[in-house]
Amino acid sequence: MQTTVFEQVNETVYHETLDNGLQVFLVPKQGFSKTYAVFTTRYGSIDSHFKTRSGEEINVPDGIAHFLEHKMFEKKDRDVMHEFSKNGASCNAFTSFNRTAYLFSCTDKLDDNLNLLLDYVQEPYFTDASVEKEKGIIGQEITMYDDNPDWKVYMNLLKAMYQKYPINIEIAGTIESISHITKEYLYQCYETFYHPANMLLLVVGSFEPEAIMQLIRENQGKKEFPPAPQITRIFPEEPAAPAQGKIEAFLAVGLPKCMIGIKEKETGLTKEALLRRDLTTKLVLDIAFGTSSAIYERLYESELITDSFDFDYSSEQDYAYTIIGGDTPDPDRLVATIKKEIEQLKQKGISQEEFERAKRKKIGNFLRSLNSVEFIANQFTSFKFNGNDLFSVVPTLESITREEVEARLKEHFLEEQMAVSVVRSASPQE
Amino acid sequence: MTCQLVTIEKYTQLEKGEVAMKAQTSDIAFQSSQINGMNVHILPTAKFKTTTIVTMIEQALSEEHVTKTALLASVMKRASARFPETKQLREHLDFLYGAIFDVDVMKKGERQILQIYMEVPNEKYLSKEDGLLEQAIQFVGDMLVRPHVENNAFAEKYVTQEKEALRKRIESLIDDKMKYANQRVTEEMCKGEPFSLLVQGRVQDLPAITGQELYRYFQEITQSNPINMFVVGDVEPQTVADAIRTHIPLVRKGAGELKFDVAEKHAVEEKEVVDRLDVNQAKLNIGCRTQVTYKDDDYPALLLYNGILGGFPHSKLFVNVREKESLAYYAVSRLESHKGIMMIMSGIDVNKYSRAVEIIKEQLEQMRAGNISEAELTQTRATLSNQFRELLDSARGMIDFTFNGVISGRKRKLDELLAAIEQVSIDDIKRVANKVTIDTIYLLRDKKGEA
Repeated sequence: MQTTVFEQVNETVYHETLDNGLQVFLVPKQGFSKTYAVFTTRYGSIDSHFKTRSGEEINVPDGIAHFLEHKMFEKKDRDVMHEFSKNGASCNAFTSFNRTAYLFSCTDKLDDNLNLLLDYVQEPYFTDASVEKEKGIIGQEITMYDDNPDWKVYMNLLKAMYQKYPINIEIAGTIESISHITKEYLYQCYETFYHPANMLLLVVGSFEPEAIMQLIRENQGKKEFPPAPQITRIFPEEPAAPAQGKIEAFLAVGLPKCMIGIKEKETGLTKEALLRRDLTTKLVLDIAFGTSSAIYERLYESELITDSFDFDYSSEQDYAYTIIGGDTPDPDRLVATIKKEIEQLKQKGISQEEFERAKRKKIGNFLRSLNSVEFIANQFTSFKFNGNDLFSVVPTLESITREEVEARLKEHFLEEQMAVSVVRSASPQE
Repeated sequence: MTCQLVTIEKYTQLEKGEVAMKAQTSDIAFQSSQINGMNVHILPTAKFKTTTIVTMIEQALSEEHVTKTALLASVMKRASARFPETKQLREHLDFLYGAIFDVDVMKKGERQILQIYMEVPNEKYLSKEDGLLEQAIQFVGDMLVRPHVENNAFAEKYVTQEKEALRKRIESLIDDKMKYANQRVTEEMCKGEPFSLLVQGRVQDLPAITGQELYRYFQEITQSNPINMFVVGDVEPQTVADAIRTHIPLVRKGAGELKFDVAEKHAVEEKEVVDRLDVNQAKLNIGCRTQVTYKDDDYPALLLYNGILGGFPHSKLFVNVREKESLAYYAVSRLESHKGIMMIMSGIDVNKYSRAVEIIKEQLEQMRAGNISEAELTQTRATLSNQFRELLDSARGMIDFTFNGVISGRKRKLDELLAAIEQVSIDDIKRVANKVTIDTIYLLRDKKGEA
């Protein structure tokens, strides 16, 4: 077991790669009552075109990763959720574009719960009847998202930015696409993506690391796995330019919702370079649009935005984009104003003072998020999948210079990379 | 807003707040004292990397005050005497290592709470910083004692802008159909009771409120309404108390108790209400009266009741409405324990409305008959206790638990509540179940189909 101490944030990480390829990370938290464990596979909604174990190239129905996540809870002889409940643990799972995570939190019986987590995720059991039944439940889940204007405006923005890359497809799929899901498909996906070598287990909270690592070793040692498959995912070539300028949709909302996306031109960054670009871009965004920025003040005082205004930068090896927006009475004017403000900021540049302030803010916010075991668990995993360490955020932030931030502003915030998504009520009375 | 949305969960956990509405304990050991007429509660703990300071000002929920309190929260956070421009104020917060600061309102039973939230990193984790805690307390003092005032009034500019912002916030309730349906069923069910009011207030009250009147109102509530202040972090209590005494010199005119006449409402007959909106999924919300509140001896039994019925993924509603019949993605029940209300919520296909109501009523009937398995009871005990113990890892959770004890007048220790949860029997749950009655069945549905 390998130990890494991050002195600045006072955290220690224990790590081991097991014989079957599973990566295990343990982060003990002094004085905490609860423990949170998350078992994640690098498999999400975008992985719908790949080669199976036998080398056959297949396309599976949209939404299958999420469907599979739901079906993992069903077992022949027991009910997983009830087992966790018996131990007082609360369990859940989620699917994103590129990963599926199974998790629980508990204040008692950690050993039992960990075994339960590892066992249910490593024991698929799908039947025709249960697959059919799930279509009704997930159908309602899809309908719920269809009515959610924040989700709609966000998904449509991805569709406006991405022409081919499958993050432009709904994570849960559509009622039509999930109707094609069969138990055979589920098994094919499971066998391809749920090998321990494609997964990561992280435990954060109140426990003794050596004992927990031993428990995990024993649990995994008892199970037989075929050799790790070579996973071949097939993705279409994504052009640099956005798919379309603007997408508009209609739902019952109080005020129109408007988001501007800026699609990253360059993809393929990994590890430190990816993290550095990520943090630098987030600094630019905060300096430009944060609540203490001149732009925010002008937008708010002219009543073009409300306190729902927000921004974010997401980056992965294959795709990265900025999102800026919120509720606004006038989407067209908001878009025009933001474009103009960005150009003016490029002319004006970023002062040392603005830069230092944004950095302090980011460091403070990061420390704050380390109070949450949930945050650590989920962020740690996605950082690891990109080859980075969550706890190295502070030193990386500290090393970023004003010049880098200014260069990033000019490089990323390009009008030709922008797309817009709007959701408004069909009639103003609604 | 954006990054949070990129995942889809196995089941939706609605309003965890209710659970956070309970706990107090030997483990949650706030040291309480009176400072400058406020009740100050300090909890030193090395667990967190930040210090959290929450100030709660209580007001009785009423048509007269509801909009003013909500508007006041928005106007307060725009400026102070030291930082008359919003941009300066926010720059200062960034300078305090991105201090989290907010002023907002929340509803606890028939109370409206104006809450000032402040959180700063602990100096121990910053290389060359000290005095951050004192600066944070000074900032809270700016809000309570040193507001930005022009001619005995809040600045017209901020009042005007925040009226508009508040109007938009109220009108945007419709964006989140779950919240919208929940507010609508509350309005229908509690017609004539203060609890029916939306905590953000009413659009029609806004035009008449002036900067002068709002400032008068600010003075009134900071001088006379109950104020509780909570501090949680790796702090020295004496240092905190001294800083509060120095930086928040409130002059209080007898922190009077608020008067409430909480009428016990019994539902005479079930009301049915249907709203139509441009939606795909229908929301079925059923409002029930429980006749049991936080301060009652039956409260632990009510927790078990709600847990077995609809609090968890092993609960009757989840198992029967979702898993057995595939009628819904979510089907849950939630308590409002200061008011004595339970809300059942689910998202359904509108064509399954009658079937869903029928199954939900069946579950209520099962509870009344005491048809509760040993497994249901053990699982609910275990998960409920776990939720309460998890509060110990959250400053916010510990503050809410303690505050619930303060306002309800019944201060339970966390251990005491955990012990009570172990003691509750099926007979106790049955007794509570027989007090629970359906008041209003509410359906938010699409505009298609017959009326």
